[in-house]
Amino acid sequence: MREFRKQIPLQLMIIPGVIFMLIFCYYPIYGLTIAFKNYTVIDTIDTARWVGLENFRIIATDKYFWQSVVNTLGISLLKLLIGFTTPIVLAIMIYELKDGPFKRITQTISYLPHFLSWIILGGMVVNWLSTNGMINTILVNSGILAKPKNFLLDPGKYWMIAVLSDTWKEAGWGTILYLATMAGIDPTYYEAAKIDGAGKLKQIVSITLPMLSTIISLNFILTISSLLKSNLDQTLVLMNSQNLSKAEVIDSYVYRMGLTQGDFSYATAVGLGVSVVSVILLLLANQVTKRLNDGSVL
Amino acid sequence: MMKKGRRVVAFAMMSTIAVGTMTGCGDSKSSAGGKMVVTGEDGVVEDGRYTLDENVPAWQLDTKESSTLSWYVNADWWNTEWGNDVVTKKIKEDMKLNVEFSVGDDTKLNTFFASGDMPDIITVFDANSSIAQKADTWAYSLQDLADNYDPYFYKVAAEDTLNWFKLSDDKTYGYANYSNTIADYENGDIEASSAFVIRDDVYEAIGKPEMKTKEQFIAALKDIKAKYPELVPFGFNNFETDGTSSLGDILQDYIGVPLADNDNSFYDRNLDEDYLSWVKTLNEAYRDGLINDDSFTDDNTAWQEKLSIGKYGCVMMAGVPQQSGFLTQFTNDTGHKYIAIDGPASTVGNEPKLNQAGLSGWMVTYISKTCKDPAKAIQLYTYLLSDEGQILTTYGVEGETYTINSDGLYELTDEAKELQLKDNDRFKKEMRLAEFIPFGHDKYRKLGVDAFPESIVQIQEWGRGKLYHHYILENVDPDAGTAEARANAAIKTNWSSTLVSLIRAKDDAAFDSTLKAYKQFLDENSWNDIVKVKTEKMKRNAEKISE
Repeated sequence: MREFRKQIPLQLMIIPGVIFMLIFCYYPIYGLTIAFKNYTVIDTIDTARWVGLENFRIIATDKYFWQSVVNTLGISLLKLLIGFTTPIVLAIMIYELKDGPFKRITQTISYLPHFLSWIILGGMVVNWLSTNGMINTILVNSGILAKPKNFLLDPGKYWMIAVLSDTWKEAGWGTILYLATMAGIDPTYYEAAKIDGAGKLKQIVSITLPMLSTIISLNFILTISSLLKSNLDQTLVLMNSQNLSKAEVIDSYVYRMGLTQGDFSYATAVGLGVSVVSVILLLLANQVTKRLNDGSVL
Repeated sequence: MMKKGRRVVAFAMMSTIAVGTMTGCGDSKSSAGGKMVVTGEDGVVEDGRYTLDENVPAWQLDTKESSTLSWYVNADWWNTEWGNDVVTKKIKEDMKLNVEFSVGDDTKLNTFFASGDMPDIITVFDANSSIAQKADTWAYSLQDLADNYDPYFYKVAAEDTLNWFKLSDDKTYGYANYSNTIADYENGDIEASSAFVIRDDVYEAIGKPEMKTKEQFIAALKDIKAKYPELVPFGFNNFETDGTSSLGDILQDYIGVPLADNDNSFYDRNLDEDYLSWVKTLNEAYRDGLINDDSFTDDNTAWQEKLSIGKYGCVMMAGVPQQSGFLTQFTNDTGHKYIAIDGPASTVGNEPKLNQAGLSGWMVTYISKTCKDPAKAIQLYTYLLSDEGQILTTYGVEGETYTINSDGLYELTDEAKELQLKDNDRFKKEMRLAEFIPFGHDKYRKLGVDAFPESIVQIQEWGRGKLYHHYILENVDPDAGTAEARANAAIKTNWSSTLVSLIRAKDDAAFDSTLKAYKQFLDENSWNDIVKVKTEKMKRNAEKISE
């Protein structure tokens, strides 16, 4: 306590930060009460009528909502499988390249799509997948496809299109964290391994990957907790009336219900439900990695 | 340590609650009744400010030296300048009025309502929103204001529009711009905005065939494909996620599907036999390779780009004025143009019933109950709605920005034209012609020379006499937030994908099963309840207009 008194001037410095957090992070939480109300634009949060769990009851029986949950989980799990591992492999590959212009150019090119918005990339993807687009031209000319087809009209292919295009956009950017960690690995490990006769592959498996494990599990936990998050921009660009049944994700559903239809209470209720599930997923993932790693990263 | 941590959490929670309750104070709306002063029998307004005269606009009588009104527009793009351009400078001088504009989105609007601190004039964009539905709680009725301050208002306001916006207390609170009355439809004051168009060179090359019946339509498309293999024979507007491009209600209007049953109850236009037989024809065309799959995935940019290079042989086109730039580009680049012809016709002899903007209009403007000077506000409505005000906002000031030519048409001065061509941003900023639109109406545009780009003049001429008012179908969707609204949204989305699936059906069996699945979907999603709501609203619409 005496320690605390001595530090009062220093302690006071956090007050602006606390006030900032209270106003911008905690006070808005109060607005979540509209999930339990029937709220319209001309109501205040206080005057809107309480409806209890009515909004949640509607969600529970709304099969379009559940369809969007299935799509979100499907796309997220595929992303976990492909989009999560690709940057690790790519990072190791880049790391193993000799320093020089080729390495630098590879890195820059792999980062590039990250800086373009989905509005631009989506237009490109739609174009590439159209009947006279790049992909059809390649497939038809190489004899794999007899007749060009528009892939975005096939609901069965949508998940893969979403996952692969997202991986292409983000994989390069995802390598940065891994590359930074690898730069910190003591080179003497590799030298010792070489003397012991370990090949490149053995070095990667026994040195690089174990050294990366903390950062991989941190990333893993963050990815798990965002399993129910979906890419709204991407969905809005690539979704069309034919692939809707496979393309509609929670975010786009909430967007369509909340904004285009003005059903704010319903949209908030969905958002609240998603947040609760996400927190549970986050804690679960933390438990799992704790078991695997003998140590929590959170 | 632990204890302190807990105390911090408790403190945080307390403050959250405190902040929450504090904002509760903001609710006290300033006393209803506001600033409006009832004008007595003698017609003397506000202690002799002026005396009412139903034949003279009150702004000409008002002796008040200057007023200031705040005006909120619920859109970020609105130009908030006042008095610095030809149009608002003239309004400022004539009305002795200063306006302070502010802009924002729904969140800002919500803050006004929550705090009770409202701007004097509020313009919103959705005539069907809850803001508009509950306008009697926060806005003055236009009838009350007109009776007490400016009876001339009734002479310039459209009666249909006033009736249309009446709430259950039989009073009107907001006035919409671009609100097209039945008279506007019948007098030909407005132009059609959808048409079936074909490239003139293509049309010539295939021997100018008729394209009214299914056989003629398919045969013509096949001819186009044979003679111009690089073209997509038949195109249409881009499909939005739950929209129907120009193949839903636009095509229904084009072949004249009835809007309602005889007693003004709901008629399911999507399942109309005549319409479905045309959808089937489109399916046939698709199977013959006359419709391209990309047309279903193209976004707005891709569709307009293809239009501007003339990629489509013929097009079912909605929103013709919005496409005019791309049509002009096509003509400039190639010397050819798209022309309107009589396309798909009803198989049961219905006449086209083309639609245009309806009575609900676009921007709706209200005078709030906290308005500082309600007399001046209603005078402003009268001013802007009068012919004088409309000409001013559309063409500016005579001699300065326009002249009237020998045909009696309004023509911009050379100076104004040059500025518009060379520096459109400065033109918009300094002249602001056709930009100050909260009370705008399309019929004044027709009074001008070169009112519409050359590329769409023929298309508009074709559409004359084919417009039919659709007021019966305006705002008939169930209210947002109800179970019916959610079911209706699901059905709308389902219909959008059903329509595409019907056109892309592999064979007749697939076509029939898709249609059957849609009908079953209707049954599963309380369609009967929705129809009930729609019918109720349609009957109310009919009553409003027959009054």
